[in-house]
Amino acid sequence: MALKKEATEIQYLYKFKFDDGTEKNFEVVLNSTTLELIRDDPNPKPEWTKLKYSQCENCPLPDSVEYCPVAVSLAKLVESFHDAASYESAAVTVETPQRTFFKKTTLQKGLSAIIGIYMSTSNCPVTDRLRPMTRFHLPFANSIETFFRSVSSYLTAQFLLMRQGRQPDWEMKHLQGIYRAVNLVNKGMTTRLLKATEKDANVNAVVILHSFGDGINYFIESGLAELEPMFAVFMKDPVAPENGADVTDPAHSHLS
Amino acid sequence: MNERILVVDDEESLRLSLKFKLKSAGFDVDVAADGEEALEKLKARPADAVLLDINMPRMSGIEALTIIRQKYPQTETIMLTGFADFSTAIECLKIGAKDYLVKPVDTTELVTRLRSLVRSRSSERALQEVHQEYTGLISEDLIDPLKKIQTMLDQASKLAVDADKDRKKLISNARELMDKMEAKLKLLVEFSKRAATIGTPGGTELSPTQLAEQLKGIRKGTTK
Repeated sequence: MALKKEATEIQYLYKFKFDDGTEKNFEVVLNSTTLELIRDDPNPKPEWTKLKYSQCENCPLPDSVEYCPVAVSLAKLVESFHDAASYESAAVTVETPQRTFFKKTTLQKGLSAIIGIYMSTSNCPVTDRLRPMTRFHLPFANSIETFFRSVSSYLTAQFLLMRQGRQPDWEMKHLQGIYRAVNLVNKGMTTRLLKATEKDANVNAVVILHSFGDGINYFIESGLAELEPMFAVFMKDPVAPENGADVTDPAHSHLS
Repeated sequence: MNERILVVDDEESLRLSLKFKLKSAGFDVDVAADGEEALEKLKARPADAVLLDINMPRMSGIEALTIIRQKYPQTETIMLTGFADFSTAIECLKIGAKDYLVKPVDTTELVTRLRSLVRSRSSERALQEVHQEYTGLISEDLIDPLKKIQTMLDQASKLAVDADKDRKKLISNARELMDKMEAKLKLLVEFSKRAATIGTPGGTELSPTQLAEQLKGIRKGTTK
């Protein structure tokens, strides 16, 4: 039997349903191999999406690039919610290839998740570093879940570097630098969005992303240690017994 | 004692990141998800400063600010907003907010502003405490016992000639009180000498909080 051909695209469908019965749907489509956003650009592109329009202070793109890739990717979404308040209640359904997520939440939280995908998959040279996380997108994640995904993604990258014989950064010294740079982009994007919108939903959605970047240092320095009890089995014996768990261990007494 | 900051924002990740940052900067931080929860937290334990988001469900930041200014005038408030709006900023400052910051907030700048805001507030509060302890020491630990001694001596002088045992007991009690007063007065003199050097070259560097603690120690008898 022939194997089913792997899908070449990953789709995330976001459905926002509001208390007044109105609905808005947005589909994000990524290349399943590169995780690059398959863009559906507005025509014409709004003025505020031009690269030189409030360009991020750390933007490495050359002057020959006319439009900010992140801003263009966000344009339709931003336009759709330009007059929406951040704390507006919405029932948000997210359909992914594997499962469907649902949460009654604030608009800013729902928007934050989808904007996060756009930002990391739009070919911005700064936010690109977060792109692998989108493969394991977790809608409505809380801070700890996002920090954990971020650290996991970064450490996976280090493992792959090590396997290539290159120098891994196990202490995650450069992860904080990545988030400092990403936060300059988040900050630049809020400045753009302030000019493109009338209410705060879009801006606050980016502010939420910024807050993750702000908290990552603390998570690496202190938050990870708080998770240590969950990893007690590794702390006790880093190498798993080859023939399975030692059932004579009192910790496994329930098995005997 | 660390200055206490209450962070009020309806978004969990913002509360958490501000909490992380401010804790790292040495503040004692609590969080609330909206204006109503903020008021409950302030009722249970006052804060030196509140960081208050403007757009929140249930009770807006401006409503909460109005109540905080009325009920907790000692608590300073900094407003946070995702959307810069000049007229709202003016309204907040008129109600009594000390500052108005646009998110995403530069946390280094926020920490600097908070430090300057709450340290001066905290010093004022500590000085009030010094004054309270000093007044309490004079009135409750010195004047009140002095009145008791006077009463005892009056009673002793009125006792019958043959009531020697009762007279001795009263005089002994009076002496005991006088000894305690003398000990506290000696410590108070030492304390006053030290306090007088604050701000002079080579003088003591005690903070108002430490001065208040020393006065408490003298009153409780734990300072020798």
